[in-house]
Amino acid sequence: MSSTRWKKLWRDLQAARGRMIMMVAAIAVSIFGVGAITSAYTILMREVSRNYLGTNPASAYIELERVDDVLVESVKAQPNIAEAEATSWVMARVEVSPNEWRPLLLFVIPDFNALRLNTFKSEEGAFPPQEQTILLERLALPMTNAKVGDAINVQTPNGQKQSIVISGLVHDPGLAPAWQEQMVYGYITPSTLAWLGESDTLQILKVKIKDGSSNQAAIESAVSDLAAWLKSQGHTVEEIRIPPPNMHPHQSQMNSILFMLLIFILMALVLSAILTATMIGGLLAQQIRQIGIMKAIGARSSQITSLYLVMIAALGLIAVILGVPFGVAVGRGFASVVGELLNFTIYSNAIPAWVYVVELLMGVLIPLLVALNPILKTTRTTVRETLNYYGTTRETVASRGLVSWVAKLRGVDNTLLMALRNTFRRRGRLILTLSLLAAAGAMFITGLNVKTGWETYLTDAASYRHYDLELRFNAPQSEAQINSILATIPEVQKVEAWNLNPAALVRPDGLDIVRTYPDGGHGSFSLRSMPPESKMMEAPLMTGRTLQPDDVDTVVLNQMSAAFFPNAKVGDTIQLTVNGQTATFKLVGIIKQILTPATAYVTPSTFAATTGQPAPMTNAVRIVLSQHDAQTISAASGAIESALAAQKISTKVSITETMLEGATSGHVYIFIYSLILISAVMAVVGVLGLMSSMSTSVIERTREFGIMRAIGAKSQTILRNVISEGIFIGLMSWITAVPLSLPLSWGVDYLVGMLSFRAALPLILSPLAVFGWLLLVLLGAVFASFYPARQASRLTIRETLAYV
Amino acid sequence: METKSVKQNQVQAKNEARLIELRNVVKAYDVAGGKFVALKNVDMQVGAGEFVAVVGKSGSGKSTLINMITGIDNPTSGEVLVAATPVHELDHEQLAVWRGKNVGVVFQFFQLLPTLTVMENIVLPMDFCGTFPARERNARALALLEKVGIAEQADKLPSDLSGGQQQRAAIARALANDPQILVADEPTGNLDSHTSDAVMQLFAGLAAEGKTVVMVTHERDLTRFFTRTITLADGEIVAGAK
Ligand SMILES: Nc1ncnc2c1ncn2[C@@H]1O[C@H](COP(=O)(O)OP(=O)(O)OP(=O)(O)O)[C@@H](O)[C@H]1O
Ligand SMILES: [Mg+2]
Repeated sequence: MSSTRWKKLWRDLQAARGRMIMMVAAIAVSIFGVGAITSAYTILMREVSRNYLGTNPASAYIELERVDDVLVESVKAQPNIAEAEATSWVMARVEVSPNEWRPLLLFVIPDFNALRLNTFKSEEGAFPPQEQTILLERLALPMTNAKVGDAINVQTPNGQKQSIVISGLVHDPGLAPAWQEQMVYGYITPSTLAWLGESDTLQILKVKIKDGSSNQAAIESAVSDLAAWLKSQGHTVEEIRIPPPNMHPHQSQMNSILFMLLIFILMALVLSAILTATMIGGLLAQQIRQIGIMKAIGARSSQITSLYLVMIAALGLIAVILGVPFGVAVGRGFASVVGELLNFTIYSNAIPAWVYVVELLMGVLIPLLVALNPILKTTRTTVRETLNYYGTTRETVASRGLVSWVAKLRGVDNTLLMALRNTFRRRGRLILTLSLLAAAGAMFITGLNVKTGWETYLTDAASYRHYDLELRFNAPQSEAQINSILATIPEVQKVEAWNLNPAALVRPDGLDIVRTYPDGGHGSFSLRSMPPESKMMEAPLMTGRTLQPDDVDTVVLNQMSAAFFPNAKVGDTIQLTVNGQTATFKLVGIIKQILTPATAYVTPSTFAATTGQPAPMTNAVRIVLSQHDAQTISAASGAIESALAAQKISTKVSITETMLEGATSGHVYIFIYSLILISAVMAVVGVLGLMSSMSTSVIERTREFGIMRAIGAKSQTILRNVISEGIFIGLMSWITAVPLSLPLSWGVDYLVGMLSFRAALPLILSPLAVFGWLLLVLLGAVFASFYPARQASRLTIRETLAYV
Repeated sequence: METKSVKQNQVQAKNEARLIELRNVVKAYDVAGGKFVALKNVDMQVGAGEFVAVVGKSGSGKSTLINMITGIDNPTSGEVLVAATPVHELDHEQLAVWRGKNVGVVFQFFQLLPTLTVMENIVLPMDFCGTFPARERNARALALLEKVGIAEQADKLPSDLSGGQQQRAAIARALANDPQILVADEPTGNLDSHTSDAVMQLFAGLAAEGKTVVMVTHERDLTRFFTRTITLADGEIVAGAK
């Protein structure tokens, strides 16, 4: 800072300390936002695959009547197979409080220490589990209301209720978190399974293919070769499961979150650029006369330009230094929250160097880029123009019209009129400030709109289900018998058969390939019988019609299953493989069903004809109770269970409404957190922008205020004048933000909805968001204009008139 | 060494009878209703070492005229030659450098930079134009302040000075790069008659030393200081163009 012009720059920075701090804060806030999001993004992307791929997930799961060591060894010797292993999955249930059961998915592991595919790690206690004990997934433990060392009651389809000790915990990142799925995951040995009352024969062959293990088509062809070989060896292939390769069950959910965050990053970038432009505009407005003087005494435009560019780069650098650590901290925090929600262990918090480079470039380059044009424009104006600059432009006809219209209103005093007129004086800056605030407001409102849309979607999903319990039986039962047993339970009001059978897409090789994860929920496809004119399920028709009682071989798909037939229209025929047979249906309608896996609905008679399960039998029923509160449901399900057990009918799962709600709300949290975080950043940026614009306008008019006060205006009047102007700008931005939020919300609703449910979220203008933002923007406006106004009203008249 | 080059300049200036020459200069401003012609085909000359007053009614075009000489504004048509430099042909960058070295400008409202001390304000033009070695700049600034009689104010901020002192500082700043020509627009307009006399003495002394001074003024009782008076009316020179 030896040379005088740098000294001048430094002193100017000090003199305008408040504004400089604001500018640094504004850039720092957006750097923070972008930094938080990119940090979280890079950490999550890396850790998801590290966690999921770290388990070495199998490419496919083949269900056979029996998988023994000899078979495993000979499968390993097959040309395309890299690894093979035997396992079994048993859907059992666990009693979490007297008579309240939750589904328990048992993974049967022959040798815990030699596990190669779908691995998991010991977290606590025994590993491998002692005989007749069980290991639980770490997130499943709290759902059992037990501790490690406690015994829990477990019942398998063919066994009795059995008490078993939890001997340890494992972390299995390959599964969707237990609490989200409302399913307990347990790990046992085959002999423990036998002790629980099931056969110890393993039935699932897990295989990993050699090449192209991330390529769905390669996997399918390798697996189909393997299946053909298995058949040639005399094995019966019951079912083949190929989950989406190398994708965590919640990968698409996370992708949609990250995608949405990415959209907002881009918007935040635009905002920060607008904000920087506003601030630099203000800075130049304040300095324009001095620029004129410097040029009059011999400064070249390039000298002045570089002076300001260096200053802006320095401010940007300070902002980066301040913003980056916060962004990194919050990004890491966010990643760890998401990691916890998705049951990942974040092995490393490291953020790749390019993130820092991007932040540095953004913090320094964006302000420089947006500043370049106004700086060049200012430094290139003739000296005469700069010396004559008073910071105002002529009123436009429109603004004059508005002002005179307001003047006609009763009770509008002169202060307000002056405020209004001031607002329109600098049209360019007004537009900039307005767009900044409106954009921030629109994003804030959009964030909350999407949140409301999401929640509405979920409550709709719940409100479309008009039943309290669903029972699935281990084997088909006589419907009449079930009805008569259930009739003895006083709370049961209505029972309907909703039979269920797994289905698969038809393949030329005739294999039953379903796209499911081991937990069976994600990506599964089932065929269900729907009693025509049932009142238990309501689903908005997207196209076509609903099922009619006399329909034969017709099908109604929900949007998840329709996605498997991208070209099918109502009236077309579609084919499904059910129990190894190809069945052909006429598509009559598509319904929208939220949080329901891919399902094809048919009439009971069509179901019987397709599956071969005789019509008087049923394997799943839905029940409406007299009361719908959690207590009644729990009591009734206990009573139903014991009544059925007395008749030796064992149920596989019973799903209650509360469990579904628990499962679904889990998916929402991450969205809500991220939207709120982003909205908050936007709100801060918006208010900072208004503040900078207000202080610029006040600084420009300092001399004018001096004159006003010299001719008798009170400081109070000036304060009120400026604050009215701020509020006025805030109101105008609010009026712009609300309609702007609609297309934005629509777009985000569409993207997020399509990515997570294959159906757009409903567009809802949240009143809370609209009025919440109004309140925020008004408070922000008062806050933003109070500070500069007070500064101006505190200067003595002599000082204001001497203002250059 | 410096003094030698200054002397050479002066010799050169003496030889050049027409240090400042305006040929057929027209200046038109764009205004709401079309164009307003503020200077109408003005021809004028100023010789080296002259102390010229530009007078005329308010709005007659005085400021516009001297802005042509300093290059603060450019003519719509016509030629402006200052020390044989075609000012009207220079672009902004060239103008800035040229003005910094050849013309010292003094404004009515002093226009010192508020965040720099008086001394620093005077060093600034040397800094921009790189005219004197950095080590010598402070000493030169102090010498100039002494010359205008406010050396003891060197370390104060402009806002702490009286109007007369600020104008002296502004004159010292105009002299910073040792220009041949000083141009001032109503430099005494904001000063009382006693102070304005002192400031005029200063200009007269500078003219006597060989500087060429062109000054806009309203005040009649200052005519005794000038070697010539150019009178403007409605954008035309009505007397004193030579
Ligand atoms: N930027 C401008 N745009 C339009 N017209 C202008 C502009 N600057 C000056 N004028 C007009 O040109 C004419 C000459 O103006 P100028 O400033 O040269 O007058 P002046 O003689 O210096 O007056 P004063 O003694 O009041 O300073 C005036 O009528 C003025 O209205
Ligand atoms: Mg003038």
